Amino acid sequence: MFRRTALVLLIVIVAAFALAACGGGAAEPTAAPTQAPAAATNTPVPAATNTPVPAPTNTPVPAATDTPVPAAAPAGTLRVWADDTRAPILQALAPDFLAAYNIELVVELRSAIRDDFQVAAPVGEGPDIIVIAHDQAGTLVENGLLAEVDLGDKADMFLDIAKGACTFDGVLYCMPYATENMAFFRNTDLAPDAPATWDDVLTTGQALIGEGKTTYVMAVTGTTYDAYPLFTAFGGYIFGKDAAGNWNPEDLGVDSEGMVAGVKFLADGVAAGTLPKDWDWANNHALFETGEVPYIMAGPWALDRIRASGVSYAISNFPAGPAGEGAPFAGTQGFFINGLSDNVLLAQAFLTEFVATDEVMTALYEAGGRPSAYIPTLEATDDPDLAAFGEAGANATMMPAIAAMGSVWGNWNDAVVLARDAKQTPEEAMADAGVKIRSLISGAAAGMVNVPGSYQAAAGCPGDWQPDCEATAMTKGDDGLWTSGPFALAAGDYECKVAMDGGWALNYGVDGKKDGDNYKFSLAAAGEVSFVYDPNTNLLTINVP
Amino acid sequence: MTLATKSGTWGIRGPSESMFAVLVRIILIALFDVGVIWFVSNAFAKGFTQLGIVLIVIALMINAIFLLQKAYPYRWMAIGLSFLILFTIYPMLFTFYVAFTNYGDGHLLTKEQALPLILQEKYLPEEGKSFSWTAYRADDGKYALWLVDPSGATFLARQDETVIPAQPGDPGIGEPDGKGIPQSIEGYTRLNTLLAAADKTLPTVLFGAEGEQTVQIRSPSAAAELQQRYIYDEAADAVIDQSNGDIYNNVEGTFATKDGKTIRPGFRTTIGWKNFQDFLTNPALRGPMVRILLWNFIFPTVSVLSTFFLGLGIAIMFNDKDFPFKKIIRTFLLIPYTIPGLISIIIWRGMMNPEFGIINRTIENWFGIDGPPWTVEAIWAQTAILLVNLWLGYPYMMLVCSGALQSIPADLYEAATVDGASVWAKFRKITLPLLLVAVGPLLIASYVFNFNNFNLIYLFISGGPPIAGASTQAGHTDILLSYVYKLAFESGGRGVQYGLASAISIVIFIIVGAMTLFQFRFTNMWEEVSENV
Repeated sequence: MFRRTALVLLIVIVAAFALAACGGGAAEPTAAPTQAPAAATNTPVPAATNTPVPAPTNTPVPAATDTPVPAAAPAGTLRVWADDTRAPILQALAPDFLAAYNIELVVELRSAIRDDFQVAAPVGEGPDIIVIAHDQAGTLVENGLLAEVDLGDKADMFLDIAKGACTFDGVLYCMPYATENMAFFRNTDLAPDAPATWDDVLTTGQALIGEGKTTYVMAVTGTTYDAYPLFTAFGGYIFGKDAAGNWNPEDLGVDSEGMVAGVKFLADGVAAGTLPKDWDWANNHALFETGEVPYIMAGPWALDRIRASGVSYAISNFPAGPAGEGAPFAGTQGFFINGLSDNVLLAQAFLTEFVATDEVMTALYEAGGRPSAYIPTLEATDDPDLAAFGEAGANATMMPAIAAMGSVWGNWNDAVVLARDAKQTPEEAMADAGVKIRSLISGAAAGMVNVPGSYQAAAGCPGDWQPDCEATAMTKGDDGLWTSGPFALAAGDYECKVAMDGGWALNYGVDGKKDGDNYKFSLAAAGEVSFVYDPNTNLLTINVP
Repeated sequence: MTLATKSGTWGIRGPSESMFAVLVRIILIALFDVGVIWFVSNAFAKGFTQLGIVLIVIALMINAIFLLQKAYPYRWMAIGLSFLILFTIYPMLFTFYVAFTNYGDGHLLTKEQALPLILQEKYLPEEGKSFSWTAYRADDGKYALWLVDPSGATFLARQDETVIPAQPGDPGIGEPDGKGIPQSIEGYTRLNTLLAAADKTLPTVLFGAEGEQTVQIRSPSAAAELQQRYIYDEAADAVIDQSNGDIYNNVEGTFATKDGKTIRPGFRTTIGWKNFQDFLTNPALRGPMVRILLWNFIFPTVSVLSTFFLGLGIAIMFNDKDFPFKKIIRTFLLIPYTIPGLISIIIWRGMMNPEFGIINRTIENWFGIDGPPWTVEAIWAQTAILLVNLWLGYPYMMLVCSGALQSIPADLYEAATVDGASVWAKFRKITLPLLLVAVGPLLIASYVFNFNNFNLIYLFISGGPPIAGASTQAGHTDILLSYVYKLAFESGGRGVQYGLASAISIVIFIIVGAMTLFQFRFTNMWEEVSENV
């Protein structure tokens, strides 16, 4: 992407060159808004009639009842980037907003919002607000490009799970407006009843194949996200959560027993010929839409094409497996605020005062075709399909948006493919994936146990407090205990801690407490110190002379 | 330069140039310089040092060329040279530079951009209070805030004046509205939240007298007794957390405490050979390198040879004057060349789908056997890629060979026929050697192109099928470039890593460069070309 950055810069430079050459010093590389706001020209909107002005907590609109929009320059401008579904809705609000508050709303249609934003925001060209899915926000938060969002007294009007999705390290970064998750579809001509378990799916599906009505038991539209509700029914998961409810990259579930069992279920089906060998998304959707399979797991994005196919369908919750009912991944669409904008307060006020209203939220819901994250709109939803999606997602897991997730997707996919194509057993494939992902997450020093502290420089490290210093790395003994040393140290007071994988992400302090206090030890005279670490209790024993 | 020495003086004025023309020239250059200086200072201020330096170099060059009479001939090349520096040399140098930095997700901003972000962070001290607020504005642009704390107590806060407890209806304060907020304050106009928020300076305004309790707006629903959280100690290059005294030192582009707490965001900085080291030694990145490299050599070699010989064969057939329907057939044969590869690769992917693809369906219907597992078995996937590339590549070779065949003098063939040479002998002794003189460099170019043919590899099946038991995410048809892409941009751990990607692309550059040099040297291509031209 640096190429793109460079390219943008270069284009700007060339423009500046051209300008400088003919016009002299006036070159200003500001990107003009691509879409002109629907400004005052055609909008003498009587604000009182159709503006969704929020409850009059404050003095409302300065006498704008029937006077046209004041000719004076707008008091402010808000730039929003949204995709082709959301942009027209927001664009339609611009005249009302201008009339009500004399603030210009510039909506720009973008397709690769996250990538463009990542380039534009650091150079000060980003919009004030972007509308994206929560799983795209993780890297933006890590890069410091997003601002905290305070929903104020409207916080209770949004679904907790949706807010949780864009909460990183306890800070809320979005105002959610829609959630999305997959659900279980069946062809009601072939399978009138919703299957309660995956065994029921198999029995019914095989009976239909036996009758010659169908080709396969079920369509499979993908290896990872799309098959996740099946994996969870067998007890599979991706990341566990720590006590505080944050995703824990140390607890990886790709090679968990449940995940292996889920993959085995699919691989066995392929081997027996009851599941398609190829899991291409479009091809498998076509299987369902032509009545060649009775079941499919699909998301709300496929609703339109399934409806258009004319197949009689019904939507239900996911069948249960040994670990209970299958849970899909859930995603949240939300409004995020550019942390580098100088309009953060205005953007916040726009979201809480203007967008978080029944009218706007309902308009967004109607155009988006996703269950609303705004409770009043959600409760008013009367589309039975979307209601069924909501029900199927009631136990959904929010898709982890942490950076470590980037290491998961590709390796997870490869492992499932290898198991499906019978190149490896599900156990081998998933175990391999686990090893690969773990080593990516912890980097070069994966598996290292170290005792970083104030003694390290004396023990041959480049400096103190270095969790990745080889010189003080511990070695594992036959008794399962890790040891290091002896190190010859001068008299004095020292502090140290236990750190895993060459970093601070996982570290133990006094009493084996995670992120606990430093261990302290003193030497009255110069002497040799050694350390013993017990991985079962996470306790460190310091042997001083 | 011979041209320069003819008119060569170091003076500014040309031999037949009027003073007016000289003046205009100097003024135009001065204007240009003003623009450059403005731009360069901006580039430096935002931390784009390298770009700034390159611009200075270009500006100096342009100045010299347009001012000095001796450099007169270069005026015709000035624009071209500038673009060469800007678009070719600068990106190359920048890639080298990035290879030694941690540029990537988590370290996207320059330090100049990251520091203000860190420093603008506020915190609420333990004894600090938080309020809901309503803003009022005076005619002189000053603000007043009506504050309500969680217990319901109300205060009036103005700029540079002590925050005082106040009630609606107090002197100068209007009657309360439905929510208990005064409708007016003497000297001020009440604003709604949005209108107040439209003033970008409002969040920085301190309400309350200096040295006493001060309140700042932090969000539309809250104003609080905020303090700046971090201060930057330039001498130590460290950030100090005022809320608890923690010291965060600059560790490779991240402010981190001794015990591992870090502040987001990190910033770009140089980290030496770490990216190269990581790639060469870290088992999580190195992966099945030998296998990938091997395929990376097989793929372009077979591609170039197969496309060349197919293209040559067709060209020779068409070289026969009596070939029927030559033009129409040739037009059809050119079609693969005219469809954008992006589209045809995806179409091929669909057609070669082992289960649903038209090719395997046809095989199944006609012969009653399963078609080859194109995307599942390594050897078939590689075959599929080579076939697709043959389809994509032969029209180019056909065109090139057709042209080159025309240039071979017909009398050579006549003489050979007189000598009784066979068709094969004529091809081997006349056609091929003379053709290679012209086409040889193109073959090498084609080889280099295919060596890095990311489009085909990635669009076809993203390098799949995966290699079982590999230590990284790698596939049987992955070439170095697609493998690096997966590593540095898709699954390499912490998001996008430009630094690592640059380091590896330099390694690829060295491999390709060495190979090309080797091929040119040992085929003596250039010598023969010069002899024959």
